[in-house]
Amino acid sequence: MAYQVSIFLENKLGHLERVTNVLKNAGVNIRNMNLNHTANGWGILNLVVSYPELACNLLNQNGLSAALRKIAVLKMVDKAGGLDQLLKRIAKAGVNFTTAHGMVLEEGKIAFFAIDIEDIPDARERLEAVGLEIMPDNYVYGTRFM
Amino acid sequence: MEYWEKEIETMPRNGLRFLQLARLNTTLEAAVRSSYYGGLAKRDRSFRTRVGEVAELQDFPFTTKQDLRDHFPYGFLSLPTKEIIRLHSSSGTTGNPTVIYHNRHDIASWANLMARSLFCAGVRDTDVFQNIVGYGLFTGGLGFQYGIERLGALSIPAGAGNSLRQIKLMRDYGTTAIHAIPSYLGRLLEVFREEGLDPRTDTSLRMLVIGAEPHTEEQRQRIQEMYGVKAFNSFGLSEMNGPGVAFECEFQQGLHIWEDAYVVEIIDPATLEPVPDGEYGELVMTTLDREANPLIRYRTRDITRIIPGECPCGRTHRRIDRITGRSDDMFIIKGCNIFPMQIEGVLLRVPEVGDDYRITIDTVAGQDDMIVEVEVKKEWFRGDLQFLDALQKRITRLIRDEVLVSPVVRLVEPGSIPKAEGKAVRVFDKRIR
Repeated sequence: MAYQVSIFLENKLGHLERVTNVLKNAGVNIRNMNLNHTANGWGILNLVVSYPELACNLLNQNGLSAALRKIAVLKMVDKAGGLDQLLKRIAKAGVNFTTAHGMVLEEGKIAFFAIDIEDIPDARERLEAVGLEIMPDNYVYGTRFM
Repeated sequence: MEYWEKEIETMPRNGLRFLQLARLNTTLEAAVRSSYYGGLAKRDRSFRTRVGEVAELQDFPFTTKQDLRDHFPYGFLSLPTKEIIRLHSSSGTTGNPTVIYHNRHDIASWANLMARSLFCAGVRDTDVFQNIVGYGLFTGGLGFQYGIERLGALSIPAGAGNSLRQIKLMRDYGTTAIHAIPSYLGRLLEVFREEGLDPRTDTSLRMLVIGAEPHTEEQRQRIQEMYGVKAFNSFGLSEMNGPGVAFECEFQQGLHIWEDAYVVEIIDPATLEPVPDGEYGELVMTTLDREANPLIRYRTRDITRIIPGECPCGRTHRRIDRITGRSDDMFIIKGCNIFPMQIEGVLLRVPEVGDDYRITIDTVAGQDDMIVEVEVKKEWFRGDLQFLDALQKRITRLIRDEVLVSPVVRLVEPGSIPKAEGKAVRVFDKRIR
C-alpha cells in the first residue's frame, strides 16, 4: 500500500519552498501534489513522492510537521468520462474519501487517481471487491525502473 | 495543628484589626520622617499621621514603583543611615534601582515572618533545607536563609545554578526540602534524568517551596508529579521585604498573607477603587512592622484576589490566590479585563499544543480581535485537516470559557513562536488608539 506525505503549512510567503528545498537537496522526486488551505491561515500539503518515508523524516528533522498517510492509487483512462466512470465504482464500493488528487501518467492513455484512505480501515478490500485495481507502490512512486 | 506563633496566627479578626490599627499609626508616624512622605503630608491633606480605623487608609494616596525610583536613593528612608544594617535593591536596568533599607528590627521581623511561613508550609527544625536561588541583592537568597536559621532547620545556602552540584548536595546531605523558582525545577529534572537518577526515589526530598515567578496550578501539579512531593507556593516582593509576605499552608488552598505585618487591599487597576473579596484586582500593601523604610499603599502591580471563607488550618490571616499576572500586562478587550496567564493556563491543559504562545490584539474591520497563536506539537500531527480543525475549535472554546471573549486561534508551525526566556513579552497590542 502506497503512502503520501502530508505536511502542515502556514499560508506564508516562502513556506512551500521550504518543503521543496528539503526534497530537492535529498534528491526526492515529487510525483504529484495538492494543497488544501483553510480560512484559518494554514493548510495541508499532500505530496506523492519517490521516497515517502525518507521525505517525511527529513521534513520533520527540518522543523516541519509531516506525517505519512495511506493512499489507494487507482488507474483510470485519460479521456473524457474516465474519472466519472472511476468515481461510480468507488461509490459502489462505499468508500467515502475527503482528500484526493489525480495525475496523468501517459497522455491519452493512463491516469492515476489517489485517494486518502488513512481513516478507512477496510478501503482496500472494498475497492478490490468491486474489481478496482490498486496500483503497486513502485508505479506510484515512479521507482519501477530504478 | 501546629503553629509558629499560635496567638498571632489564629488571632480573632477584631483583635487583628486592633493590632493593625496600633501598628499603622506607628508606621505613619515613622513614614513622615522620610523626605518623601514628610513632603507628601505637607502638601496633601489626605496623608495623615493618625487614623481611627484601618479602613481610613483608603483615602491615602498610593505609592508606586516610579515614586521609589524618582526619590532614589534616600527619599523613603525614615531613619539615619547609621541605624541601617542592610539594603536590597533591584538591578535597575531600566532606570534607577528600587532600594529598600532595613534596620536591626526590620531584619529580625522579616526573619520571623519567613520562619512562620516555612513552618506554616510544614518545614520543621529536623529538615535539611537547600536554598537554590541567588544570594546577594536578590531577596530570595538571604530572606530564606534567615528564615531557615530562625526556624532552626539545617540550611544549605546552595545559591542558583550548577545543577550537578545541586544534585550532589541533595544526595550528600539528605536534603529534605528545597526552595527554587518553578522554571528551574524543570531544568533540574532534566539533569537528574541525564544522570540516570529519579528525584522521587534517589533523594530524601519531602517537600518543595516554589516562588519568585508567577506560575499556574497546572505547572505546580506537573512539578509535584515530577518530584513526587508537594510544592508550596511562596509569595513576596522586595518592596515588602522579599519572601515571607504570603505562604501556603498544608492545605494548599491559597496563600495566607500575614496581616499583622501588612495591610492588604485589592483594587481595580483601572478605577483604583477597592473590589469585593473574591474578585481579581491589583494587590496594594502597607507595611506595619518596618521601621527604616515604611511604605504606604504600595501598588505591587501583582494581580490576585482574596479567597473568601476560612481556611481549615485555623489561621485567621486571609488568603490570597496565586498571582495571575501583572496589572501592567493586563489588557482590556470588548470590555473584559484579560491577563496573559489566563490564556497560558488554558493552553497548558491542551496536550496537543506547546507552552509557547503569542497574543496579538488588532483592529479588524473596526472591531478589536484577540488573535492567539499556538504551536501544534509534531507528535500529535497526523496529516489531516479534521484533527487540526477540531483542535482549533476546542482551544477557541476553552479560551472563550475562561476569559469570556472569543479569540481567533491560529495554529502555527512548530518553532515559529520565540521561546519563553524569563519574562517574555507575549502580548502585542496593535490597536489604533
